[in-house]
Amino acid sequence: MSTDPYSAKVRELFAAPAHAGDIADGEALDVAAEDVRLRLSATAAGGKIEALRFRVWGCPHVIAAAEAICQALEGRPVTDLENYTSADVMQNLPVPVEKTGRILVIEDAVRSLGQQFRDKT
Amino acid sequence: MSDDIIYLDYAASTPADPRVFEHMREVSQIAYANPSSTHAAGRLTQAIVAQAAEQLGRLLKVDPATLVWTSGATESDNLAIAGAARYRSHRGKHIVTMKTEHKAVTDVFETLAKEGFDVTWVDPDSRGLLDPDAFAAALRDDTQFASIMFVNNETGVVQNIEALGSICRQRDVLFHVDAAQAVGKVPINLGALPVDLLSLTGHKFYGPKGIGALYIADRPGCHVDPILFGGGQQRRIRPGTLPTDLIAGLGMAAEIAMGRIDEDLAHLSTLRELLWSGIREIDGISLNGDPDGFPGILNVSVDDIEGESLLLALEPICAATGSACNSKLQEPSYVLRALGRTGMQAQSAIRFSVGRPTTVHEVEFAAGRYRDAVARLRQLAPGDAA
Repeated sequence: MSTDPYSAKVRELFAAPAHAGDIADGEALDVAAEDVRLRLSATAAGGKIEALRFRVWGCPHVIAAAEAICQALEGRPVTDLENYTSADVMQNLPVPVEKTGRILVIEDAVRSLGQQFRDKT
Repeated sequence: MSDDIIYLDYAASTPADPRVFEHMREVSQIAYANPSSTHAAGRLTQAIVAQAAEQLGRLLKVDPATLVWTSGATESDNLAIAGAARYRSHRGKHIVTMKTEHKAVTDVFETLAKEGFDVTWVDPDSRGLLDPDAFAAALRDDTQFASIMFVNNETGVVQNIEALGSICRQRDVLFHVDAAQAVGKVPINLGALPVDLLSLTGHKFYGPKGIGALYIADRPGCHVDPILFGGGQQRRIRPGTLPTDLIAGLGMAAEIAMGRIDEDLAHLSTLRELLWSGIREIDGISLNGDPDGFPGILNVSVDDIEGESLLLALEPICAATGSACNSKLQEPSYVLRALGRTGMQAQSAIRFSVGRPTTVHEVEFAAGRYRDAVARLRQLAPGDAA
């Protein structure tokens, strides 16, 4: 059994998060919890998520999860944001159970961003 | 050590000196008998153990007969604290320590508190130093025992053991010193210090793991009740068959250290200064501890950086976080919190500790990697965290 607390996937996403950044004229949302501070920004076109970016302060699993979530949702229908569940990301990274709450903070942020898109239409 | 690792965690453990292992190998070939046996083979082993006690005694400047072998500093701390507090409990049950002690000390005090001992936890100042006046004020008429560490394992802060011990002598309080981070690294003239009990371990000063010792001063009223029971070895204070090769290794480590403490300290000072000068200009960085402390340890916090991510971003550097890894979720160090650091400052703390094998190139690389890691994580964070 590996004693490394980080899977190869977590290490890869932590080292080179391709979706880190801001979209200046996109729909944006900020959340701040004890172990996570997150800013999501996104643009949509034709009912689909055109671009999704994040800025985050948190542990390596939080950073990797933010990147994995952006990867998974970019190009998907905007309605997927509201219905987003982080179960796949938690399982695939994986995220240790004691950090589940941190990932749920990101999940809530993604859903809230979806609501912001809906409220605008 | 693997080529892809830069080890800067010598306060956690050190590699044994090759001469230590060579000596242990030789000893294990000839001194395999039980040192308690009175036959010729047993006497040979006993002589090896006696030689190691003399080597350690010379390093500490004490009579070898005052040294009891243990499995390491944790056991020595347990034996000293629980053993002395219980031995003196008929005279009083008030015992004193400070908040920044190692867990091997604080957990024993907490256990004794459950047994009915009355514990006073003294605060350090913002650098981590214990004011002797504050210490004296914490002692009461019924105080029987106090424990203060020599060099702090997280910050490198060096306590004024002579002043604190003198206060204990005046008040007839048994005084224990956890010197796990000090023995073999800083000069200690133990025989001349007002110290009754002192804990040490081999692997912190280039000796083997699994072997330590407790010094018990040869003074009236200075004694410990055993915490282990079995054969009558070591005057029943710490029974159990002696691990001859480990003891021989610790003795050799002591002999090697004795000849080079000043040289080691100069080397560590150069490295720490180089490391600190390479990162001290970073916005929001702060030093945890006393600049005049033990030069092998540099503990730094930096504003608005998450400690676990910082440690991962520092790879291949192996350093320690300021977190007490006593749970899966890392909690900010209680030692740094006691120095008045905020939870946010404490959780970002990294303890770099340099050692004999550390090179200038390694600390220069570490400084560069630390600067890059902080910059990258700050760039990644939302604006309000930068």
